Amino acid sequence: MTDLISIVTDPATFATVLRVMTPLLVAALGILISDRAGVFNLGMEGMMLTGALAGVLVSAWTGSAWLGLLAAIIAGGLIGALMAVAVNGLGANLIITGIAVNLAASSGTTLALFFATGDKGMSGALKSGVMPSLDLPFIEDIPGIGPLVSGHNVLTYAALLAVPLVSIMMARTPFGLRIRAVGVDPKAAATVGISVKLIQLQALILSGMLGGMAGAYLSMGYVSWFAQDMTAGRGFIAIAIEVMGMATAWGTLAATVVIAIAETSAITMQTFGLPNELMQMIPYVVPIIILTVWTARGRAKRAAHR
Amino acid sequence: MNRILLAGLVRLAITLSVIAAVILAVLIPFALPHEHPGAVIAAFLLGPLSSLRHLGNVAEYATPIAFTGLAATIVFRSGLFNLGIESGVFLGGLAATTAALLLPSFGPFTPLVAIIAGAVVGSLSCIIPGELRLRWEAPEMVTSLVLNFAILYAGVFFLNYYLRDPAAGSLMSYRIPADAKLDRLLPGTRLNSGAIVALVACLAGGVWLYFTRSGLNLRIVGQGPVFASHLGLPSRRIIMQAQLVGGLIAGMAGAIQVLGLYPRFSWTQLPGLGWTGIIIAILARENPFYVVPAALFLGYLQVGGDFLARDIGIPSEVVGLVTAAIMLTVTATAIFQHPAVLRLIRRIRQAEGTR
Repeated sequence: MTDLISIVTDPATFATVLRVMTPLLVAALGILISDRAGVFNLGMEGMMLTGALAGVLVSAWTGSAWLGLLAAIIAGGLIGALMAVAVNGLGANLIITGIAVNLAASSGTTLALFFATGDKGMSGALKSGVMPSLDLPFIEDIPGIGPLVSGHNVLTYAALLAVPLVSIMMARTPFGLRIRAVGVDPKAAATVGISVKLIQLQALILSGMLGGMAGAYLSMGYVSWFAQDMTAGRGFIAIAIEVMGMATAWGTLAATVVIAIAETSAITMQTFGLPNELMQMIPYVVPIIILTVWTARGRAKRAAHR
Repeated sequence: MNRILLAGLVRLAITLSVIAAVILAVLIPFALPHEHPGAVIAAFLLGPLSSLRHLGNVAEYATPIAFTGLAATIVFRSGLFNLGIESGVFLGGLAATTAALLLPSFGPFTPLVAIIAGAVVGSLSCIIPGELRLRWEAPEMVTSLVLNFAILYAGVFFLNYYLRDPAAGSLMSYRIPADAKLDRLLPGTRLNSGAIVALVACLAGGVWLYFTRSGLNLRIVGQGPVFASHLGLPSRRIIMQAQLVGGLIAGMAGAIQVLGLYPRFSWTQLPGLGWTGIIIAILARENPFYVVPAALFLGYLQVGGDFLARDIGIPSEVVGLVTAAIMLTVTATAIFQHPAVLRLIRRIRQAEGTR
């Protein structure tokens, strides 16, 4: 029991939660923007994977982690644009497009890795960069809080900062209003002169940029390599998180924290000798339970109002 | 009848030419850097057709994805976007292995018992999201998506603690007993009797969907839920029936894949056959009769990819890019609902009609 308390209060545990949270939060915010624009981005997994590889390749070629990050964000945005063209230009089905993006990204990253390094599995041969950690001035000196809050990866701070930014963008800017209008009723939005296709294109590009950034964190955040299918379903957890967060930025943050704590406790419980595979189930079972309970409660409430 | 057939042929011709264009568009950038670009294309397109053995390989690849394509077709026809088929395949393979290893031998019926076990256990992956949706309105697409991974890790746990052969180098089960394995049909390939089951299942699925009352009910519920409720159809039961049947077929796919191809159960990742099934359902326009040709086509692409990998040195993952591009274009309304196409089809119908 004392073991457990010392683990919970350990700054390292807090750091693990933040480390698990970062890619999920960024990706879920990306899905949120697409969802509110009425173009739910099921291709997030593929965008993250592409971003992860683009970051590693470009940072290895240029020797700069920041250029790698930029490349990851651009790559994600390009896929977002591609999705928008497929959905609104070609008239392909939205969900199918997302699945196709995931498939193409999984194969495409393997191919690109093979042509760049001659290896299909890992980018170990490439010397790619790692995004730096940030020591917050003044705050790091505060006893107690300082070591908890300071010294994390710069992308972790960016992810946390993105929550209020996305929230303000969606709620308080004309662009956010247009996104919501298009998502709620595209025909009505079109009658007041909003270009539905343009807004959805912009939303998917933004969504993809966030996806690329989330991917860059996976391959350049605390490791410096890319591995085949290294996203391992995180893009799908991000979808569950966004739905749990009811498509709001702060709700998404709350849902991410819940999932990250579930995953962190899974990681720590393995050290107590509990079966590793059962612990790995936790972050996937929790969203199912929470979603079911919430929708069931919502239905009960609606029934009571009638 | 004749003009309807002709109008259908127009659509088929457009589909085929779109697919051909997409294959070339994806392959040419990979072929150009080579000495003989034509040879690259030829290896991909003609390699699979070059011998009976390679045609057998095509059918071997097509077997599991015909099952999952049929499963996806039936599940989608109910109007639910249930993605549980992916883990249904995994679970089916695991359960069939378990039955083959732990149950006594039933003589010639051993594979049958194992496949039934796989189908029944595998169906859980589709039933659970369906039930959560119908009972509590939990969005089935999201729950089935994450449930896939939950089932994967539960399955790997079971494999590691109950079926693992400590003498084997990596994480895999004990050897599947010989009498549980399916008969091989063609020497030099792994084509097995499961292929026949797949063919029969797809035909039966088509008959069910288009020639029986319960199939008609399913199509009505999926396409017009409101209309179905006005008709007084028991929508809930019909939808759950489709999840059950789809899940059973997905489980069967996994069971037949493992018993037909592998010496041991060694999946520690989701096999991806469920996602391919979704692609097939789309290519086949959610019609079970078209599932077999669609599955054979994807099997053909896969064998073509193997030729590229072996003869040219381009990884077979190229096939994934080709498939993704095909998915986008065959659902593109800009091509298939294009006014010129619709006009052409209308003209054909009218011209034949006045005769």
